[in-house]
Amino acid sequence: MVLKISRKVLPWIFLAPMLIMIVFSWIAPVLLTVYLGFTDLSSKNFLDFVRNFFTEKVHFTLENFDKIFFAKDPYIVEALTITAIYVLSVLSINSIFALVLSIAIAYFIRNEVLSMILRVSWLIPRIMPGIIYALVWNWFIDPKYGMLNTLLKIVGVPEAWLPESWLLTPPYSQLLMIMVNGYVGASFGMIIYTAAIKSIPTDIINAALVDGASDFQVARHIIIPLLKWPMLFVISWQTLSLLSSYEYILMIWGSGGGGGYAGIARAAKVMVWSLYSYSKAFAAEEHLYGYASALSLILVITGVVLIVLYFKLFGFRRLMEPSRIEV
Amino acid sequence: MGVKDRLFPVGGTALILNILKYIVVIIVAVVPLIPIWTMILWLAVQSFSGKVILGIIPSDFTFNNWRFLWSPMKMGLKEYPNIWPITLNTLFLALGVTGLVVFISTLGGYALSRMEFKGRVGLMQFIIALHAFPSIILLIALFVILNHLGLYGKGIMTLVGIILIKAGLEIPMATWIIKGFFDAIPWDLEWAALVDGCTRWKAWRTVILPLVLPGIGAISIFSFLSGWSEFLLVFTYVKDEAYYTLPVLIYYMIGEYKFIDWGMLAALGLFYAIPTIIFFSTSQKLLLRIYVGGIKR
Amino acid sequence: MVKVTLDNVSKFFGKVKAVIDLNLKIGDGEFVALLGPSGCGKTTTLLMVAGIYKPTKGRILFDDRDVTRLPPRDRNVGMVFQSYALYPHMTVFDNIAFPLRLKKVPRNEIDRKVRQVAKLLRIEELLSRKPSQLSGGQQQRVALGRALVKEPDVLLLDEPLSNLDAKLRVIMRAELKKLQKELKVTTIYVTHDQVEAMSMADKIAVMNAGRLQQYAEPSELYNKPANLFVAGFIGSPPMNFVEGSVREVNGGYYFDSEHFKLKLPSEIGELVSSRTSEVIMGFRPENAKIIKEELPNTIQGKVYVVEPLGKDVIVNVKIGEILVKILARPGAEIAPGQSIWLQLNMNKIHFFEKHTGKAII
Repeated sequence: MVLKISRKVLPWIFLAPMLIMIVFSWIAPVLLTVYLGFTDLSSKNFLDFVRNFFTEKVHFTLENFDKIFFAKDPYIVEALTITAIYVLSVLSINSIFALVLSIAIAYFIRNEVLSMILRVSWLIPRIMPGIIYALVWNWFIDPKYGMLNTLLKIVGVPEAWLPESWLLTPPYSQLLMIMVNGYVGASFGMIIYTAAIKSIPTDIINAALVDGASDFQVARHIIIPLLKWPMLFVISWQTLSLLSSYEYILMIWGSGGGGGYAGIARAAKVMVWSLYSYSKAFAAEEHLYGYASALSLILVITGVVLIVLYFKLFGFRRLMEPSRIEV
Repeated sequence: MGVKDRLFPVGGTALILNILKYIVVIIVAVVPLIPIWTMILWLAVQSFSGKVILGIIPSDFTFNNWRFLWSPMKMGLKEYPNIWPITLNTLFLALGVTGLVVFISTLGGYALSRMEFKGRVGLMQFIIALHAFPSIILLIALFVILNHLGLYGKGIMTLVGIILIKAGLEIPMATWIIKGFFDAIPWDLEWAALVDGCTRWKAWRTVILPLVLPGIGAISIFSFLSGWSEFLLVFTYVKDEAYYTLPVLIYYMIGEYKFIDWGMLAALGLFYAIPTIIFFSTSQKLLLRIYVGGIKR
Repeated sequence: MVKVTLDNVSKFFGKVKAVIDLNLKIGDGEFVALLGPSGCGKTTTLLMVAGIYKPTKGRILFDDRDVTRLPPRDRNVGMVFQSYALYPHMTVFDNIAFPLRLKKVPRNEIDRKVRQVAKLLRIEELLSRKPSQLSGGQQQRVALGRALVKEPDVLLLDEPLSNLDAKLRVIMRAELKKLQKELKVTTIYVTHDQVEAMSMADKIAVMNAGRLQQYAEPSELYNKPANLFVAGFIGSPPMNFVEGSVREVNGGYYFDSEHFKLKLPSEIGELVSSRTSEVIMGFRPENAKIIKEELPNTIQGKVYVVEPLGKDVIVNVKIGEILVKILARPGAEIAPGQSIWLQLNMNKIHFFEKHTGKAII
């Protein structure tokens, strides 16, 4: 008995599980976030909500957005500021520093083995499981037992400048926040840029050398201009990624602080927008799910807008091959 | 023209520029790595040593830090759950995610690569768009969904819920990667099989599948490591200690301010990192290709 | 314009020996071709003169100056790459101006020089275009302009014509040769095409498997090849080779191959047999005459295939198992299957040692 499945239906059978999972993990949550942003869902009416989606205990309200846009929530401005500092700083590391890094590793260094060692080393922060990254950083910044203060003293930083606690004292904590995410982010740019640099035909580099260029001049006149599009890609992609990232901050400040991550992140002034939203839902006393969703919603909308922009700017092809060199 | 008219630099500037070049490399690429190398060295050294001097010099060699493998862990006043059930939980999560992801994305990737259907291009664009979308801001809504499905606070079932969520989050990228592997197989092979008398199913099983095995291997390893490293979902949704996974356990242990046992923590960390180390040293070429191919974050 | 000397230069890439013990002296203003099959080491040699590769052994001198350790930027060399290697993000003007910009030449001087070179190469109207908007021939001239604008001491060309279509290639050959004579710049030209090398170069260095085979003027390479390789590489259609031995019999010298015996003039016979008896005889297609009847001291053969080329006819003749090519004039009625005899011009015969390939005559 042979079951003949129509040619039209077969693809959908293959696709169905994937589509179901996407709806479950992506689409439904997004739609729900939109909905919840306009409600006053909290621990008070949560159980009723779970039992009955349309329970009257949950009210439609614009109060969440009131808090956000009219600064009724006193912390909003600070969250915004910290997020701006965070995104802009780490972005410069990820896009500009990573460019210099890639030129150093993929062009200045001709030895393949050395280049590979450095590349793998820079990938380590990204490949390490997040909690181990948090563990070793917490050790590193420990004032008694860790090495950060020691290393800084060796290079001549005066003791007076070093904080008692890197974790809790702004602006040191903010510096730490930028550093920790910067290490991970730099490897993203490095991957894209080194692939792009390696795809420049050797003849063009050789021609520049014969024309009289030093390695620095080759980098300035040939490599950097050709990396225009990859750079734009890295900046765009990382902007959205950074706006919504909070995992490392939570892991490091949360674990290092021993107490609630929310209190510590606030005190250390590293509470970025996305973390703030998370904490309002899961750390706050009243579990303000509605408000937290509204905060998230801002990011969701930003994300969707940016992604549409990316497609328009880069087109399908360039998004798939960000390292491709073209003029 | 000619040598007589030109001032040949005596190779002096060439040397200076060369030195300058290496100074730049050292400042930009090597110096920032010093903290990272230090941290890794410390992890390796501390896990086998009682006290560590200057961060990386061991004072003795001991297995005491690894006692969590056979005795309960105590730090300060708190006694932590036994390591093995926690490890099992982590394994459960990792394997569950792997199984689901491999199965579902292989099917989906094949359809996207080889089948004709309406909206194929649109679906591909949508999947790429999902790459860029930051999933961790959806945790609140997912929490509600989890509750709605009755999976919250239900011990092992919560972990099952997490497996489903995590798999769903990994599937777009895995599908894209596997699709790439399918794309690389020439059409002729499939046609030859069909001409030889296979049904589409049989052709898939006997001809195509063996050729995408490397791709399947890649996303299996990738999904496993992804599930193994998963912290946020378990941290947010699992409140019962018995169902913690290793990352969450380590998180709470780091927090022991006054009584922190760096030795045991380091050993614990190394223990947890073993699968990552194994997979990366045996299949780095393949995995590096994936990391370069499908970047998230 | 400088003399270029390669003194025992070798280049090894790990186990691969790309260039072995190369000794070459190129005079001021000379046009020298590096000729050989792919993989013979000619491009590697060129890149060593440019400074992109450092020789594993040996020295390179410009006039009396040892430049072996100097990087490309300090050598004042101009190079045209096979792929042209134009900077895709710069206009034609900027491409040509690049070497001058790097030297910090003042803006108006750059302008003057670039336009001067553009005029010479007839690419003035292209100055504002980008390389992707140019044809192959135009790109090549831009590459040439970029190499020439800095008034280099040495001009290096790596198969610059190989990417052009046949017709353009023939035109550009003459153009390049004229240009070089005008500018009087020492030029090294890499090619695998022996017609190109023969028609353009003052001297040709024939290379094979990393070693120099012979370095001489085209006519000498053609008439007095130093070994089997050069003899077979130069000349189209190529020289014919027959294995055999030279022996003295009753006061006379004979060349004895499997299928025929040829009496040799005594001077030739004496010279050859004094060196060795196992030889390979060579004769060029135009140095043998096809005759319809058997005369003394001719070789019998059967016409295999006739290739009419317009002003010449190539007749492929089978002698036993060997196939040789003979150049005949059109009009001679020769048909496949016909039995004919070959009369060789004894003044133009070559003999090579069988085991070493070295030329005896």
